[in-house]
Amino acid sequence: MEVDRELVEAAQAGDRGALEELVRRTHRSVYTCALRLVGNPDDAADVTQDVYLRVVRKLGGFRHEASFSTWLNRVTTNVAMSTLKRRTRRFAVEGAAVPADTRDPAPEPAERAEAIALARRLERLVAGLPEGQRQVLVLRDVYGQSTEEVANAMGLTPGAVKVRLFRARERLKAELEATEGGQVVALAGRRRATGRRS
Amino acid sequence: MTTCHNIRPLLPARAEELSRFEIHTRAEHVADCARCATEAAAYSRLGQALAVMANLEADPADGTLERVLVAIGRRRTGVTDPRILAAAGSAGAVVATVVVARAVRSRRRSRRRAPSGPWSRRLRLPNLPVPTPALARAK
Repeated sequence: MEVDRELVEAAQAGDRGALEELVRRTHRSVYTCALRLVGNPDDAADVTQDVYLRVVRKLGGFRHEASFSTWLNRVTTNVAMSTLKRRTRRFAVEGAAVPADTRDPAPEPAERAEAIALARRLERLVAGLPEGQRQVLVLRDVYGQSTEEVANAMGLTPGAVKVRLFRARERLKAELEATEGGQVVALAGRRRATGRRS
Repeated sequence: MTTCHNIRPLLPARAEELSRFEIHTRAEHVADCARCATEAAAYSRLGQALAVMANLEADPADGTLERVLVAIGRRRTGVTDPRILAAAGSAGAVVATVVVARAVRSRRRSRRRAPSGPWSRRLRLPNLPVPTPALARAK
């Protein structure tokens, strides 16, 4: 998500067109972050709308000290966490939170192709993590927030964040290895794959 | 000597999450232990792939963008420039101060005039009961 400073400044100055363009350019990214945090598409759409309502209110106070996308991610995190506190979860995480059609924002160099393919597989596995672990992992490892920022956003101690993070990474690695092993074996013959996964 | 069991909790961590001592201990052990080296490499690969996830975007349901645009169109104020908002706020504060000051001054004046007012004169009339506090409240 790349946003020009000029566009943000125009939106801050009250240019309605600039604000709408800002929304057009960033709404997919905001929606994706919300989906990864709240775990279902309906809530993610609500969070996306609430994020922009908050952006309209707070944009005047944005001082360009961090990048706009970093600021927007923080707003999204705060709104998503507030939403989760207010609502009872309506869906089980398994199978519900996967961005169905992730796409690259721009063509990537060949050496990153494998990492992107892996990231796509990871989406489903991350969505299957327990909610607390998933949120910590998404904020820390996907969006690069510090342990303290994650702790503040989630109302946890830094120690609790580290524990959840450790469990999430350990579980994700194990599931990724199981999936990749399963896929590799499946090419050779289904019998061994079935045995491994059961 | 550091065992694999002791190192295991350190393997998934990023360098910035560990102390210098932990980083050194992990590096030393991983250099000598092929199993832990494989684990560490797997975590490193996982970390890179997770960071790449930030660049992947999901498409929201149809109508989400339009819904957002309508919502912000309703809520949006015309002016969002902080300098203009600050100026407007200052002007509002000055106006409010003047209004309050004038109200206070006029109240003080009316209190000074009170002894010669009709209510005071009525109280001084003979043969009228002096109002008790309760009666005064009732009135």
